[in-house]
Amino acid sequence: MENILPEPLTKELGDRLRGVVGDSWVIVDADRLLAYESDGLTAYRRTPRAVVLPRTTDEVSRVLSILSQEGVPVVPRGAGTGLSGGALADGDAVVVGTARMTDMLALDPANRLARVQPGMINVDLTKAAEPFGLYYAPDPSSQSACTLGGNIAENSGGPHCLKYGVTSRYVTGLTVVTYDGKIVEMGGFGRESGGYDLLGVFVGSEGCFGIATEIEVRLLPKPEGVRTLLAIFDRLGDAGSAVTEIMAEGLLPAALEIIDGPTIRAVEASVFAAGFPTDAEAALVVEFDGIEAGLEADVERAVARCREAGAREVRTADSEEERLALWQGRKKAFGAMGQIASDLLVQDATVPRSQLTDVLERISEIGVRHDLTIANVFHAGDGNLHPNLLFDRSDPEEVARVERASTEIMAVCVEAGGTITGEHGVGLDKRRYMSLVHGPDELDAMRRIKAVFDPLGRMNPGKVLPDAPDSAGAAT
Amino acid sequence: MKPQHDTALAAALWAQEDKLKPCVHCGFCLPACPTYTRLGDENDSPRGRLYLMGAVVEGRLSPDSDAFQTHIDRCLGCRACEPVCPSGVEYGVLLEAARESIFRARKTPAMVGMLLAVFSSRRWTSWSMRLARVVRGLGMAGRAARLMPANRFFHPIRFGLAMLDASRERQFPVASPSGFAAPDGSADGSAGDGSSEAGLPDAGSSDDPSSDGAARWREGSRGRVAILRGCVQAGLFARVNDATERVLRANGYEVVEVSGQGCCGALHTHAGDAAEARELARANVQILGSAQVDFIAVNAAGCGAALKEYGHLLEADEEYKQTAADLAASTRDISELLTGDTLQAGDSLRVGAPLPARVTYDAACHLCHAQGLREEPRVLLEAIPELVVLPLQDEEECCGGAGIYGVTHAELGGQIGADKVSAVLATGAEIVATGNPGCMMQIGAGLLLEGSDVIACHPVELLDESYRRAGFYDGP
Repeated sequence: MENILPEPLTKELGDRLRGVVGDSWVIVDADRLLAYESDGLTAYRRTPRAVVLPRTTDEVSRVLSILSQEGVPVVPRGAGTGLSGGALADGDAVVVGTARMTDMLALDPANRLARVQPGMINVDLTKAAEPFGLYYAPDPSSQSACTLGGNIAENSGGPHCLKYGVTSRYVTGLTVVTYDGKIVEMGGFGRESGGYDLLGVFVGSEGCFGIATEIEVRLLPKPEGVRTLLAIFDRLGDAGSAVTEIMAEGLLPAALEIIDGPTIRAVEASVFAAGFPTDAEAALVVEFDGIEAGLEADVERAVARCREAGAREVRTADSEEERLALWQGRKKAFGAMGQIASDLLVQDATVPRSQLTDVLERISEIGVRHDLTIANVFHAGDGNLHPNLLFDRSDPEEVARVERASTEIMAVCVEAGGTITGEHGVGLDKRRYMSLVHGPDELDAMRRIKAVFDPLGRMNPGKVLPDAPDSAGAAT
Repeated sequence: MKPQHDTALAAALWAQEDKLKPCVHCGFCLPACPTYTRLGDENDSPRGRLYLMGAVVEGRLSPDSDAFQTHIDRCLGCRACEPVCPSGVEYGVLLEAARESIFRARKTPAMVGMLLAVFSSRRWTSWSMRLARVVRGLGMAGRAARLMPANRFFHPIRFGLAMLDASRERQFPVASPSGFAAPDGSADGSAGDGSSEAGLPDAGSSDDPSSDGAARWREGSRGRVAILRGCVQAGLFARVNDATERVLRANGYEVVEVSGQGCCGALHTHAGDAAEARELARANVQILGSAQVDFIAVNAAGCGAALKEYGHLLEADEEYKQTAADLAASTRDISELLTGDTLQAGDSLRVGAPLPARVTYDAACHLCHAQGLREEPRVLLEAIPELVVLPLQDEEECCGGAGIYGVTHAELGGQIGADKVSAVLATGAEIVATGNPGCMMQIGAGLLLEGSDVIACHPVELLDESYRRAGFYDGP
């Protein structure tokens, strides 16, 4: 897609924005906007018109008032770790970033709640809650870098969402600034939760409804015991079968993650090497947590299912260090792909668990047919696949093959009864697939809901929803 | 698209193009970067700076541009981004190439140029250090600094004087003057909090000079060592060099004096003056390389990192590349030499007399990030009986010293330095130990201007004091 070159901000508009946030926090110089061309998905490059970095809810509100008065579209951005191009702005839009809004506003261990600014990093919340024996459950793999504001936008998941659920389950209140600069309170401690669930509508709206400037979330007590086991397989499909069997057994692991051969080799070449055998074709990480009593029995049953499915080796993490090393290896896998390729496109389709083995085989076949390396690292328990298509952008022919393979993978997943995104969001990248899973009436309902928050359609435009059938440039 | 002069300027970056490719833009480096976490501008993050470098390589940005120069200049060079990078991007090498491009593109700022010139010449270094010692000897530098107004105009002089004063030798505040008896009354004097965890042998009784224990540490039994004397280290911290020599001898090393050494060139490399850095490196390779020693011992983290990278620095120099690589391979930080492969006090590190004091350890960036030495200095400190090692919040974050960053980037460097000083003060320690002269002066100056009595020293100075008290130096 074409990168529309930014149209510079007028001096007058720049001055008004600088008047709100300070000189250093309005970026208009074309050279300095380059760094904001991409988020975690480098397949797309869009240069914004400007970047504004406010510090408080009040500043966000004043910035949006000014921009909406001038009719300038707005794109919210957290740490820019997203994988669907959701934080990219076309040249007519201004990025409003939350990088400076990193404060803990209130930590309330008695009520197990925290209220934070949206730029706070996911793992920092858990670190702050730790002294009270609490933690924040949703743990996207980018949790060491991604922000809670971004998590709200994408309704982020993570390995442990298999047992604990995704972000929406933990958000109890939000302060939101809408495009016109209005500050809206949703939910919040002590409020009646009657009426329509506005929080539920807002979480996962991918920055298209407004900017969350204060976030109240529920914290959980740390589980008493944790057991982590690692099963090694010579065939990826066998690992998939083990997952199906473990779930069919009635077990509820905290996490069930598969890392395939190419990914293992990338991780083992990185500083996060965790001792996965590099000749294996799949590693399955199974974690159980909860009260100590009963954990061992669960582990034994899971080990038996892994062996039956053909695991060549099953071992348990003996120490907390070993356990953390396994998780580091798993969670840094996306970044480690840079060890084996300069560019990658990661898919995020979810399929019914029972179809895992079958779908993995078909994805592998697509890779072979298009002569592409596909590295799989995914939340197997949720059936949430992350095939990483590796390529080099300087080879246009390879880029074209990636495009084709990507579309085919999507079709295979939808055909198997799955959906186009598990947790990365639709953003820019997957809006073209929306009609594969949503009918016209559904899409229309979504458009009308967006219009409630953003009647002018200037909040993160061009994301999530495909253009309405009657609008001009329908094809994207 | 690619102007000719830019290509010439960007030559250094072009040569490293392959090293830019592994960056997949995942953003995991953002929270590790002291400038990004304080400024929130992605241009001031490792990922953003790599993006700017990439834009220069692609011909989309000139090394002449204000954006490139400002944001590359603003990097501390702390390399905290390297250990968190799953793709293994060699940021340090790329930063040097970027700085080389900038060095060619513009006139070097007067103060930086002057400093580089001074350290390029052994005679000038010697004279300037002599002058510095005279000023320090007057004993008024610290008071003068405290009396000066803390404004932009006076800052370089004020901070410079404070740094100078922070380099002077001070008495360690040790609880019981020279007692082998611990203050808690235990007879053997072994082990305060930290040291018992390090698995210490019984310190007081096993290793006094008259016993058989001392035979293990016979001088020369562990090899021949030359000490890199350094420029600032030799000029202002001769006591650290002396302590290094004594401690090495006491641990079984033979120390060989190698005269004619010059500056290691790290300052020049970091400023982008690669040509001069190579000149200095060649001179050192010639002199130290012909010393016929097993190891080069370095007690300045920045210089150690520079020596270890001589092989890379001179890789294009057919005549020198092999000897440079050999020299690099034989270079060890003092903490590495002392703690050996086992990292066990008593095993490879000799245990001295109790030193009842409270210390906190600041990990110099060029030790922990550039050389990967995290445990060694800590083992060294924890091996000192009764020395209580208190944890320092964000111990691996840069202190803002970064060469002359505190002078060139007064405001940001000051902010980063102030955070470090607060963290040190919060520990309640009387001493802060750090393995680099620049950090000793940066933190020391900050403490001094705060009106604090906390002493900044090198870890080896504490070990030396413990050995002196044990009588290891009272030879026949």
